[in-house]
Amino acid sequence: MTRRPLLRLALVLAMILLPTLCLAAEKTIKIGVLFPLSGPAAGAGAELRAAAELAVEIANNGLPGVDIAMAKGGGVKSIGGAKLQLIFKDHEGNPTLGADLAKKLILDDKVNIVMGCYNSSVTKTVAAVCDQYGIPMVNDSSTSPSLTRQGYKWFWRTTPHDEQFTQDLYAFLKGLSEGKVKGVPPVKDIATLASACEKTEWGSSVSEQLNKFGAKNGYTLAKQLLYADKSADLSSEVRSLMAVKPDAMLFACYSSDAILMLNTLKSQKAAPKLIWGQNAGFEDPTFANTLGDTVVGVLTRTVFMPKVATVKKVAGQVNDVYKARTGKDMVGAASRAFTGMQAIVAILEMAGSDEPAAFQKAANAIDIPGADLVMPWEGIKFTTEGEDIGQNVKGMGLIGQYQKDASGKIGIEIVYPFNLATADMIYPFPGFK
Amino acid sequence: MDILLGAIVSGLLLGAVFALVALGLNVIFGVMDIVNFAHGEFLMLGMYVGLFTSQFLGVDPLFGMAPALVFGFLLGVACYYGFVRYLLRGPALAQLLGTFGLMLLLRNLALMCFGPDERSVRSGLLVGVSFDLGMGMIVPATKLAAALLSVAAFVSVWLLMNRTKVGKALVATSLNAQGARYMGIPTDRMNALAWGVGGGSVCLAGALLVNFWSVSPGVGILFTMIAFTVVALGGFGSISGTFYAALVVGMITEIPGFTDFLAYTVGLRFIGDWPMTAFKFTFIYLAYFLIMLLRPQGLFGWKR
Repeated sequence: MTRRPLLRLALVLAMILLPTLCLAAEKTIKIGVLFPLSGPAAGAGAELRAAAELAVEIANNGLPGVDIAMAKGGGVKSIGGAKLQLIFKDHEGNPTLGADLAKKLILDDKVNIVMGCYNSSVTKTVAAVCDQYGIPMVNDSSTSPSLTRQGYKWFWRTTPHDEQFTQDLYAFLKGLSEGKVKGVPPVKDIATLASACEKTEWGSSVSEQLNKFGAKNGYTLAKQLLYADKSADLSSEVRSLMAVKPDAMLFACYSSDAILMLNTLKSQKAAPKLIWGQNAGFEDPTFANTLGDTVVGVLTRTVFMPKVATVKKVAGQVNDVYKARTGKDMVGAASRAFTGMQAIVAILEMAGSDEPAAFQKAANAIDIPGADLVMPWEGIKFTTEGEDIGQNVKGMGLIGQYQKDASGKIGIEIVYPFNLATADMIYPFPGFK
Repeated sequence: MDILLGAIVSGLLLGAVFALVALGLNVIFGVMDIVNFAHGEFLMLGMYVGLFTSQFLGVDPLFGMAPALVFGFLLGVACYYGFVRYLLRGPALAQLLGTFGLMLLLRNLALMCFGPDERSVRSGLLVGVSFDLGMGMIVPATKLAAALLSVAAFVSVWLLMNRTKVGKALVATSLNAQGARYMGIPTDRMNALAWGVGGGSVCLAGALLVNFWSVSPGVGILFTMIAFTVVALGGFGSISGTFYAALVVGMITEIPGFTDFLAYTVGLRFIGDWPMTAFKFTFIYLAYFLIMLLRPQGLFGWKR
C-alpha cells in the first residue's frame, strides 16, 4: 500500500520536471504582431503579414543571395541564437479590440516585443497598453504624427510620418510648377485643391496637414471632406468634391474605400488635372488589380515600389523572394513590415538580451545604415528628444505614378524625388470620359 | 445649375430604390399590423443572394434579381410559418420584440457565414458606365437600371394588391381580419402571402442595390431606418404614399448637394465649409423624428 502512492508521486514529479528540462534548451523571442487581417484594410493586412513572416524566416534560417546582415540567419546570435517567433492577432481596424489583444499578448502569451498596427487609430491604443506594461513596441507602418508625440518611452517608429510625406507632396507640386518633373514642362494651372480623407486618426490628421502645409506653400484647399472608411456609397462625397471644380484631388483612403472612391470618380466622369493618394489604399496591390486601367495616371505617396530595385540592388533581391512566395511585388506596406522586423532583429542583436530594458537602451542608441535596408532611406536612427520621441529621422518618402508599360502591365513609376525618377510623368490626368 | 440638377437626379434615382425597399415593410404592416424590424436584414440577405448569383454563376449582377425574389418570398413565408404566426398570439410588445430578435439572429448568422468584410460587385455590363445628360446630370447606368426596375416592381405589387382577387383578399384581411375570415378568406394564408410579398420585394430591392452599394452583415440597420422613415412619411398602410415619400427621402440624402448648390452656384460660400456629407444619413433620422413629432400619420394619412 505504501509503494503505490510513492510511485504516483514519482510519476507526477517526472511529468512536471521533464518539460522544464526541455525548455531550458533553446530560447525563443516572442513577438506579438497586430495587423488588420480583416476589415477595410484587409488587403494591406495580408501583405504586412506575408512580409513579417518572410523577415523572420530569413532571420531564423538565413537566405543566400540577399546582401543584408539578417540574411546570415541563425536567429539572434547575441542571445545564443534565439529564434524569433511571431504571434499574429487580427485587430480588424478596431482600436478597442487592438488594445484588448495587446493586453492578451503581453499577459497571456508573454511576448517580449509588440509590432504593429498599420491603422494609426489602433496603434494609438496599443502603444498606450505597451507603455503601461513596459513592453517595447515597434511601429512599422502607421503614419499619424501624433503617435511619436505622446511622450511614450517604449515606442519606436521606423516609418517616416505624414508630416514629412505631406511636405513631399507640396515640394512635388512646387517642382511641377518649376518644370522639375521628368517629362513635363512647367505647369502653371494648378491652383484649386480639394481633399477627401477617411475620418479616423490617420485620415483626419492627413487632412489637417494638407491644410497646414498647403497654407505654408501658397495653396488653398477649396474643400476638405472627411468620410467614414466603411461607407458603402461615396457618390455625394465625390459630387461635393467636384462642385468646387478642383485642379487637384487629394485623398487619404484605406483599401476598400480607395477602390470605391475611384469607381465613383469614374462613374461621375471626374476630370481633375491631378489625383494623389496618401499611400494606404492607393498603394495596396488590390487597388491596381481590381481597377485595372482606371488607375493609370493616379499618383500615390509611397515608401517603396519594385522600381527602387533600379537604384538599390538589395531591394530587388528581397522583392524577388517576396514575389516568388506571394505572387505579388512588395510595395509600401510589405516593405515597411519587413523593415520593422529587420529593425527589431538588429536592436535585439545590439541588446544582447531579451529584457525590455536592454531593448530600450539599444533602440535609443542604434544607427542602422541605409545600405542594409531595402528602403531607399539613409538608415534608421530614432530620436530621443525634441518634438518627436522614438521617430526614425533617416527615412524618406517617394511619390509614384501608376503607368502602363510596353507590355500592358500596370506598375508604379517613381516621379519624386526628381533625381530618382524612373519615367516621364503623365500630366494631366487622363480623366474619365 | 449643374450641381442642383445633378443632386436632384441622384436623389430621385436613389428614392426609386428606397420605394421598393420600403414597400415590403408597408405590405406586412398593412395586412398584419406587425412592424418587421428584421426588414433591413431581409434586404441584406437579398443583396448577398444577388452578389453570389453573379459571382458563382458568372452572370451579370442584374440577373441576380430572379433568385433574390424567389429567395425573399420563401424567406418571408418561412419566417411567417416558423415564427411570426406564434407571435400573433402574444401581446403587441411581444410581436415587436420578436421581429427585433429575428433581426439580431439574421444579422449574426450572416456575420458567421459571410464574415465581416464588405463585398461589392466589381464587374458587370453596367458597372462603371454612366450617361452624361448634360447640365451636370450624370446618371450611372447601375443606378438607372435599379431605379427603373424598382418602379416596375413597385407597380407590379400595386397591381397585385388592387387589381387581382388575391390582392383584394389581402386588402380585406388588412381591413378586418375577422370579417374576412367569415367571408371564407384564409387569414393564415393571407398573412403568409403578405410576408412572402414583403420579403420578396425587399430582397429584389437588395439584388438591385448591390449593383452600386457594397454589402456587409451590418448594412441592414441603415435601410431599416430608411424604410421606417419612408413608411412613416408616406403613411403606414398607404402603398402609393410610400412611393412619393421614398422620392422625398431620396432627396433628403442629397441635402449635401443642395447646400453645395447654395455655396458654389448661388454664392453663399460659407456653407461650403459645413461638413454636410458626413451627416447625410443623420438628416433622414432627423426627418423621422420630425415626422413623428409633427405629423405621425404621414403625408397620406393612416391606413385606408
